[in-house]
Amino acid sequence: MVVSVSILFSAFFTHLSLGYRVMNPLSVLFSGITQLVEGGLGVEGYRVLRVLTAVVVGAALAFSGYLMQLSTKNPLADPYILGVSSGALFAVSLTLSLAGFVTHPLMIGVRFLTAFLGGLVAYLATLFVASRAGMTPTSLVLAGVAVGTFFYSASLLPQYFISRDIHKLIAWSMGSFVSPSASVLVLMVLMLSLTTCYVFFVRHPLNNLQVSDDFVRQLGRDPAKLRRYSTLLASLMTSLTVAWFGVIGFVGLAAPHISRRVLKSSDLVFVLPVSVVLGSLLLTVSDLLSKVLIVGVEIPVNVIASMIGAPVLALALVELRKYGS
Amino acid sequence: MVLEVSRLCVSYDNTQVLRGVSFTLGEGIAAVVGPNGAGKTTLLKAISGLINYEGSVKILNKDLSSLAAEERAKLVTYVPPIVDVMPDMSVGDLILSDPLIDRELLEQYVYLFELSTLLKRRLSRVSSGELSRALIVKGLSRNSRIIALDEPLSHIDMRFQLILLKHLRTLSKEGKTILIASNQLNPLLNYTDKIIALKKGETIFTGNTTDFIKTNTPEKIYDVKFETILKDKYIDLIPTP
Repeated sequence: MVVSVSILFSAFFTHLSLGYRVMNPLSVLFSGITQLVEGGLGVEGYRVLRVLTAVVVGAALAFSGYLMQLSTKNPLADPYILGVSSGALFAVSLTLSLAGFVTHPLMIGVRFLTAFLGGLVAYLATLFVASRAGMTPTSLVLAGVAVGTFFYSASLLPQYFISRDIHKLIAWSMGSFVSPSASVLVLMVLMLSLTTCYVFFVRHPLNNLQVSDDFVRQLGRDPAKLRRYSTLLASLMTSLTVAWFGVIGFVGLAAPHISRRVLKSSDLVFVLPVSVVLGSLLLTVSDLLSKVLIVGVEIPVNVIASMIGAPVLALALVELRKYGS
Repeated sequence: MVLEVSRLCVSYDNTQVLRGVSFTLGEGIAAVVGPNGAGKTTLLKAISGLINYEGSVKILNKDLSSLAAEERAKLVTYVPPIVDVMPDMSVGDLILSDPLIDRELLEQYVYLFELSTLLKRRLSRVSSGELSRALIVKGLSRNSRIIALDEPLSHIDMRFQLILLKHLRTLSKEGKTILIASNQLNPLLNYTDKIIALKKGETIFTGNTTDFIKTNTPEKIYDVKFETILKDKYIDLIPTP
């Protein structure tokens, strides 16, 4: 925990100092915060907002991934792999091509709501297909791939037919933190805190969801309800990130997987906090690389995050097979 | 009486699994026997408050359905048979994931069931017998008044079967009520004070081991002929072809 937090801090400050110009991270932090509080966004304010966004989105995705893994008792679950992100992507893509990139404050709500509905529909579709296919780890992943591919392809259609704001639409759908927003950040932090409160309250039954529904019932909780609420919260968090920053895959899979591997435990009390920090770290580093790898060019953060995360999925698959699941 | 069950009925999707089961238990060990699908697991889950039922279940004269979850967990623990778990969970995670366990007791049980060297090992890499021992340790460490063990003997080897049964006998003498659902009549029959035999969701026999054999109940429930061997008060049932 201490190690991962300290690496996150160093990544955080490196992120602040590097960019088009190299700056002193501490002064960027202080003047950035001043700018954010007083309004009027300068370079410093932008950098602070962007790195905070990476941290919070990473945390939210890792959190969502972990909750989905618990509720499906499947270490391969993740909002991207189960199709939730693509469902949200499709819904928002459709709305944006119809409405355009309107900057009305109401649009935050509209984008969020459509993303959530899209994500939820995709998640339910995945669960439906997987349960028909025996609900094994592999069938769940394959069902997610089927549903995810469908919605991802569908999300390209509106882009193809409607040329308005096409560049913005494409840049957004590829996943990037180029245009962070303070109000979205606040919304995300609220959502994260709400989920944290809920999870803290039900941490023991949630932990037992990994073992057997009977143990959950013995602790006085209905396992079906516990699953429903935690996946609902996970879908909400994921949809919120997709609505603004596009699809960022594999963080939800990689962070919990690495933290379980490092801690050699799957106790929620240890694994969840470390996963959340690792998720933040993964996206902070990915976003840092996305802006400094090629000077003056922003690579979509999803490209880098997926290049780190996808090998972890491959590893997890191999391990599952090795341990005969 | 510690446990009073009367006219207990349970249905799953319009199929009646238990059809009016009644019995009472004091302190001691009770074996719940019966062919596959007779309703043994359902009975144990119902008296542990894990599923909906009709009829009445009273523990120490309190109605089970009126108890809060925490109070219920202190009175009765259901120990499930082998379960599907998250593949990379460790044995230690499994037995520690319960806020209601008595830590001191847990340490003794880890020693008794020889799990100390396995605590770090992942559940996907332990044998079914080792997983079963971990579940038993987790359940016993709750230290509740009634312990309902579902098929505890099916996966563990003969030595651990005897360790478990001997220990349960000690616990029953200390005042616990123990229910064991199992079909391993040997060695189970030699450790029980009472036998509840189920067939198609009904109790066809309740009583002690001697009467169980006298009334020819084993043959009635399993449709197999048995030869009874009695040696130094130790009963062994051998199925005859």
